[in-house]
Amino acid sequence: MIEKAKSPIEESIVEPDLDALLAGDEKAFELLVNQESPRLFRIVFRIVGDEEEAKNILQETFLQAFQRIQTFRRESKFTTWLYAIGINLARGSLRKSKRMTSLDDSDVERLQPSFSKGMFVESPESWDPLRLAEQSDRHELLHRAIDNLPEDYKAIVILRDIEEHSTEEVAKMLDISGGAVRVRLHRARVALRAMLNPHFQYQRQTAE
Amino acid sequence: MKAVIIVKTLLGMAPNCKKVTSFLAEYVEGTLPEKVAKQFEQHIGMCKCCGPYFDQYRATINLIKEGQEVKIPDELVEHTMTFLRNNANFSR
Ligand SMILES: [Zn+2]
Repeated sequence: MIEKAKSPIEESIVEPDLDALLAGDEKAFELLVNQESPRLFRIVFRIVGDEEEAKNILQETFLQAFQRIQTFRRESKFTTWLYAIGINLARGSLRKSKRMTSLDDSDVERLQPSFSKGMFVESPESWDPLRLAEQSDRHELLHRAIDNLPEDYKAIVILRDIEEHSTEEVAKMLDISGGAVRVRLHRARVALRAMLNPHFQYQRQTAE
Repeated sequence: MKAVIIVKTLLGMAPNCKKVTSFLAEYVEGTLPEKVAKQFEQHIGMCKCCGPYFDQYRATINLIKEGQEVKIPDELVEHTMTFLRNNANFSR
């Protein structure tokens, strides 16, 4: 089945039965796995990019949730806590398997526009709406660009822009401040814009 | 220099491009204070740099949001539950 990214609000949420989960109740866990697997799978899959690996990470996530449930402090939503486990495992797996060299923080920095006396050093040129519309592989382009981001930026783009979790939730999931989520999301989008830029600019007429 | 800033302010160009681009995320999110949002819009409407830049920033977000769909494996829940039944000493 194909699941489109939905915001958490659109999905009917049954609050997990925390007491039953704390008691180690199998039915309660089955309900939890049923309810949270699709959303969690989408996030984990988008981070690791491999179905088998994502499936294994889901197994491990729910097992760790079972084993560590006594450490859950009711300061965040239970699902936020659960997702944090899955996201951590996914990021760990990505770090281990990193096939291609991705960008690092200094690359992201380089992709930010530079200013002199508050003005753009290089004026941005408009994108060609036709190229934007016609580029049939634009999602593939973008997918590769997101894949190239440093993994914390990548996770934030996936969680905020694609899966549409709130800044506060993402901050809790990644154990960073809301300010850091906002700044990195902005810098990631700017870097992505820069990576897409050459593909969408008006093509110059070559003088012949 | 001061004169330039005054002229720009009169033209509604203040704040400058650097400042304006730093407001992009908040503007898109709708969290800029009304007065700043007004200044932002004025600047975007007039500036040859920030105008296209803002359009591209928004286009990028739209592309990200269109994203690629993820196929959920049919046996996903069972795959996890089998694993849990073998490893998770359920108490009841
Ligand atoms: Zn400007």
